Amino acid sequence: MADITSQTPQRSLSPYWTTAIAAALALAVVLTAPLYLDIYLTNVLIRALFLGVLALTVDLVWGYTGILTFGQSAFFGIGAYACALVFTHWGFGPGWFVAALVIGILAAGLIAWLVGLLSFYHGASPLYSSIMTLALPIVLVQIIFSGGRFTGSSSGLSGFPTYYWSINTWFIIAGVLLVTVASLAWLFVRSDFGRILIAIRENEDRCAYLGIPVSAIKTGLFVVCGAIGSIAGFGYAAFTNVVAPELAGFLLGTESLVWVALGGRATLIGPILGAIGIDVTSSYLSGSLPFLWKFIVGVAFVVVIILLPNGIASLVTGAWRRYKTRGKDETAAHRHRSNVTLVPAKSRRLEENLSDDKAPILIEALTCRYGSLTVLDGIEVEGRRGELLSIVGPNGAGKTTLMRCISNGGERTSGEVVIAGEKIGRRSPQKIVELGVGRSFQNTSLFDSLTVGDCLRLARYRIDGASYLERTERVALPEPALEILKATGLGRQLGLETRYLSHGMKRGLELAMVLATEPRVLLLDEPTAGLTKPERTAIGDVLTRLVEDYGLCVFLIEHDLDFVREISNRIVVLHQGKMLLDGSVEEVVSSDLVKAVYSGQETETPA
Amino acid sequence: MATLFLDILTTSSMLFIVAAGLMIILGVMKLINFAHGAFLTVGGYSAHVVTDAGFNAWLTIPAAALVGFVLGIVVERVILRPLYDRPLDAILATWGLGIVIAQVITFIFGRGVQFAESPISGTADLFDISYSSWRLILVLVAVVLGAALTALLYFTRFGLNARAVIMNENLARGLGIDSVKVRALTFGLGAALACAAGALITPLLSIDPNMGLPWLVNSFMLVLVSGVAIPGLALASLLLGGAQVLVSTFVSPIIGGITIVVLAAVILRIKPQGLSRG
Repeated sequence: MADITSQTPQRSLSPYWTTAIAAALALAVVLTAPLYLDIYLTNVLIRALFLGVLALTVDLVWGYTGILTFGQSAFFGIGAYACALVFTHWGFGPGWFVAALVIGILAAGLIAWLVGLLSFYHGASPLYSSIMTLALPIVLVQIIFSGGRFTGSSSGLSGFPTYYWSINTWFIIAGVLLVTVASLAWLFVRSDFGRILIAIRENEDRCAYLGIPVSAIKTGLFVVCGAIGSIAGFGYAAFTNVVAPELAGFLLGTESLVWVALGGRATLIGPILGAIGIDVTSSYLSGSLPFLWKFIVGVAFVVVIILLPNGIASLVTGAWRRYKTRGKDETAAHRHRSNVTLVPAKSRRLEENLSDDKAPILIEALTCRYGSLTVLDGIEVEGRRGELLSIVGPNGAGKTTLMRCISNGGERTSGEVVIAGEKIGRRSPQKIVELGVGRSFQNTSLFDSLTVGDCLRLARYRIDGASYLERTERVALPEPALEILKATGLGRQLGLETRYLSHGMKRGLELAMVLATEPRVLLLDEPTAGLTKPERTAIGDVLTRLVEDYGLCVFLIEHDLDFVREISNRIVVLHQGKMLLDGSVEEVVSSDLVKAVYSGQETETPA
Repeated sequence: MATLFLDILTTSSMLFIVAAGLMIILGVMKLINFAHGAFLTVGGYSAHVVTDAGFNAWLTIPAAALVGFVLGIVVERVILRPLYDRPLDAILATWGLGIVIAQVITFIFGRGVQFAESPISGTADLFDISYSSWRLILVLVAVVLGAALTALLYFTRFGLNARAVIMNENLARGLGIDSVKVRALTFGLGAALACAAGALITPLLSIDPNMGLPWLVNSFMLVLVSGVAIPGLALASLLLGGAQVLVSTFVSPIIGGITIVVLAAVILRIKPQGLSRG
């Protein structure tokens, strides 16, 4: 297998330059287009270009981040009404123009922030967020209706003063806006931060457990996209000189979903073409064939959703990809050129571990109930620095629930978990990662379409942050994570999408990602399940090193008792939610009680 | 006072009737049927066709239910079955279906407003006031519908299978329950209920190609607040429907129109599982 990092990376143009060239070409088209377009088409296109900006924001929110939003039109409407209301009621002129634009942006941002606070909290179902985005335009339209003369109620406002520039000027304004937003969005989705959006779409929960503030990121994105939508709506209103409640309505919101779905989700170009194509065609056909056209769009939408989930654009990109990868094998097609270099990080937390003398983790009277079912009852465990503590017990003993209660403050019914002297309270998983808890999952939950390098960078987000417009080439990782990558050979696979990794390598990557967050306490849920004997030994060695050399406290859930015996310092036995034993390896192994539990005999559970 | 009380009762009953079909589909299939509004419209037009052809107005309801059932079975087979593992896409596809249905109706009947005859017209005297008889009948219908759906879910083989699919589809399949058939029948039933509901509310409203749309979002909210259970839906309809009537009467009809949406959003933020669960 080719050693990718050691290859001299083929120098290609930096993404800045390619984007700049593409933007320049697009601008050239925008500047010359009015010369050969007739007036009607130009008119129609100007509106379509503003709608294209709206489609871009929908693509960022839905296509890239996976939040199905019905309400992006609300922000478009806010911008449009900011323009109309200010110009109608307060005044018009360059100063008022800027003021109205700023008011629109601030209002949209504020409302997006409020909606974000309401709908993106840890544990919110994606459906709930969608409902909130659905409620937003409905509420907004009713507010506009109830505004009477001020908002023009259902007939809207028109004839307010605006700049009656030539139609060509407006075309250029709309075109430049679209090209600018598209270019920035293009860089943004390809940046380190863009990878985080995709990671949130693919596995939101896992992101939270890597310490990524998912809710804050979603809210932030929603605010920015709301502000951009507001700018587009402002331009639309200033140009058309008419605003109506429909601009904020949920029909426009769902229509923008149609553009994005038809054009191709998460492609940026597809949604723009979808918006422009559909809007322009319907302007031409709505005169002669209004119902037929809407019918065709509806049918096309359903067919595309069922047969081409990636939109019509995927026909083209799919053909291009097949052309590019002809004659290569499947995995080679998904191996991206990787410029990622791994460098050792100054891991402060790991050094602190060795000097800190507070207990890394203290579990006090932890109880967890679901209704009348008690899953954990009065668990008391202290995890010490440099200790590998195995948690064993038959299926259903509550082992995984214990991990869950430690890593998510919202899970337990009562009791407390103290991490290095700090109570976790009801903190969300990402806040608990901040305290120094790292958790790996029973089933390997990675991000399928991200590369190994991307995953590692993702895990460092909490500590190193992420660039909004660039791909950084260096990923700093703490020593133990680097060791695992080296031992498993993952260091040479940084450009490979994780879904093509073997099961063993996935396990290794998962462990490396958790370690990259620099935990004090490591919670591992069956890290060796499904691994071969040599892989298991390798993981065992790594765990021993983590405990002895780096002073971590490791909680390990494991069914393989021989493995447990080899590497543990201490063993806790759980049975039906209660702690049966907490002792050294010898004590537990020689205990008749444990034998009885494992062989399924009836036992008196000690009080 | 009596009018207000009857308004609350009858509005809640209408909401319950309209939302029931959506809830059955969401419960069993975990699918939000955005074509629900369009199904209501189809029901309205079925009623229009039946009374227009000179048949007894009572026939509108079974006729609409039959149309809905057939439509539901076809839609499930053609559109939804390929999307079972992409739930968010299935939502979008049903929305697209809604657009298509509205356009087809416009082709056939035009954009204009139509009417359907009411099986019973006039008013009835109750608590010393005269009140629309049809609205009062809807209360009865809602009660019967609630009881019938409960009976269907808890006392029939289909109900047992459906509940098994709701709780654990894989296990249900492992036990030999044909979950594909359960889903198909459920969607047919949900669509039939939606169309029947459309026929039931048309005597009070005019019929146009988008008549179902305003009901869609409210039903949606009610079903989520209900926690997807029949008693929960009854409670949600009474609470939110009551709030809507009160706000419309004492504050403003426009604010009344968004009462359900706003209250539901707040309730779901506090109790994400809805009213009937922990």
